[in-house]
Amino acid sequence: MTVTVSASGLTLRYGATRALDDVSLRLTPGVTGLLGPNGAGKTTLLRVLATAVPADSGAFTVLGRDPGTARGRQEVRRALGYLPQTPGFHPDFTPFEFVDYVAILKELTDRAGRHREVRRVLAEVGLGEVRGKRIRKLSGGMRQRVALAAALVGDPGFLVLDEPTVGLDPEQRLRFRELIAEAGEGRTVLLSTHQTEDVAMLCHRVLVMADGRIRFDGTPAELAARAAGRVWSSTARDAGAKAGWRTGTGAFRNVGDPPEGADLLEPTLEDGYLLALDDEHAEVTA
Amino acid sequence: MTWHVAEDELLAYARGELAPPLLWSADTHLAGCARCRAVLAGAWDPGELESAWERLDAELDAPRPGLFERLLVRLGAAEHTARLLAATPVLRRSWLTAVTLLLVMSVLTAHGIHSDRFFLALAPLLPLAGVALSYGPALDPTYEMAVVSPVHGFRLLMIRTVAVLAAALGLSGLATLALPGYGLGALGWLLPALALTATGLALTPRLGPVLAPSVVGGAWVALLLAAHAYQGGAGVLVPFTAAGQAVAAGVAALGAGLLLAVRDRFDQSHRGAV
Repeated sequence: MTVTVSASGLTLRYGATRALDDVSLRLTPGVTGLLGPNGAGKTTLLRVLATAVPADSGAFTVLGRDPGTARGRQEVRRALGYLPQTPGFHPDFTPFEFVDYVAILKELTDRAGRHREVRRVLAEVGLGEVRGKRIRKLSGGMRQRVALAAALVGDPGFLVLDEPTVGLDPEQRLRFRELIAEAGEGRTVLLSTHQTEDVAMLCHRVLVMADGRIRFDGTPAELAARAAGRVWSSTARDAGAKAGWRTGTGAFRNVGDPPEGADLLEPTLEDGYLLALDDEHAEVTA
Repeated sequence: MTWHVAEDELLAYARGELAPPLLWSADTHLAGCARCRAVLAGAWDPGELESAWERLDAELDAPRPGLFERLLVRLGAAEHTARLLAATPVLRRSWLTAVTLLLVMSVLTAHGIHSDRFFLALAPLLPLAGVALSYGPALDPTYEMAVVSPVHGFRLLMIRTVAVLAAALGLSGLATLALPGYGLGALGWLLPALALTATGLALTPRLGPVLAPSVVGGAWVALLLAAHAYQGGAGVLVPFTAAGQAVAAGVAALGAGLLLAVRDRFDQSHRGAV
């Protein structure tokens, strides 16, 4: 499959902290999930790929364009849609006004054409009916959809979404996943999330990050398969497990290196994710 | 309806050639005037009619430009530039009202103490603060989206800087007319204002959008306090003498040059800005 985004050796320090530590990746069309705990470096990686901050070292290309020069950066930005972790709005704007403003920032200067595009993306995210309402009066889920519409304006080829499902209730999260799945048709989407469910339902590939490094790069099935033979059930907390928690049945689910004769369970994506986080020397598979 | 859209304007509208602000006026009028809509329908060939109604429908959804935005377009600004400026936080009514009140208070103080010193000290800080707050993560909620947009950060900064400077200097200029010591000396704030603004912006890539204007503003206040302590209450403070004004002009030119040299640094976010 065509590689649309390629990065090698991205490193970025904030003081003594290595927010990104020699990160290399290759993205292809479709939705790629970026999983990791808080402080793993997910947002920093997304901000670098979105050209918001430069890396200290390393290089990357987006759709064949190199953002290392001012001209290349502008070309990358023309092909980019970015939904930041905490999207800000002018509170007195309506969704139409806000997306219109972002469209101008994306160089859509012809008024009639720009307004058609604004209507299109607002309809795409299901906000056509509330396009004239003040943003401050919209629910959290609707605000996230306004931000997604702003990211989609201009039909970008590379979409960067930083934890778009945080703070949404289950129904809103489901609706948002549908929108992301639609957005991923024909374009490259990098989706940062805490939720393994988001990855399971949306992504053809998943990256796991911890301490500024990519710990896993493969398909969701491959991530789950890493935990095969390393998940077991016990009646009490197993001190030897790398992680363990009580399930709804009252039994403990443990991941790690099982003891002799353990009652092995079918691994899930979450089990694979926990192991990838814990494994200092996890192998990057792609 | 007491008026109707002129026929040549309707024809231009039908061809999509009518430009703002006449376009906005026609949009609003057509929404409520059956007679003009009928004339418009007659002016079109049927094939174009559907797409034109769609365009009108889209226009009716479009944001109604505010007074400030309409004024900018009438003054010759492009429609999209006017919208960018209308989204500048410090060009909102609340900010402009606060600046006006501050200037009125400083003019009243000048009359009360029979001295322009307080006004002359305050006026240069207003554009410095206004420009600092118009672009950056501190007050612009869309900063992160703006910084990754194809519009160069320096261009956006300059568009907003010119608008904020025009507003702040305009208001300060009007306030100057009401000072007790009205005359050339009462304009002594102008060159320091330009010097502080240019220097504050030039230092932003290095010190960040909060620290840079704070340092520059603090240096200005410290300079005035030192001059006041040295000279006492009598006479014109050194920064507002001819020599002080020449230095301010030099600093303004130097700051502008430095700002130009570091313009590409505004194209990406300051490291601390999240």
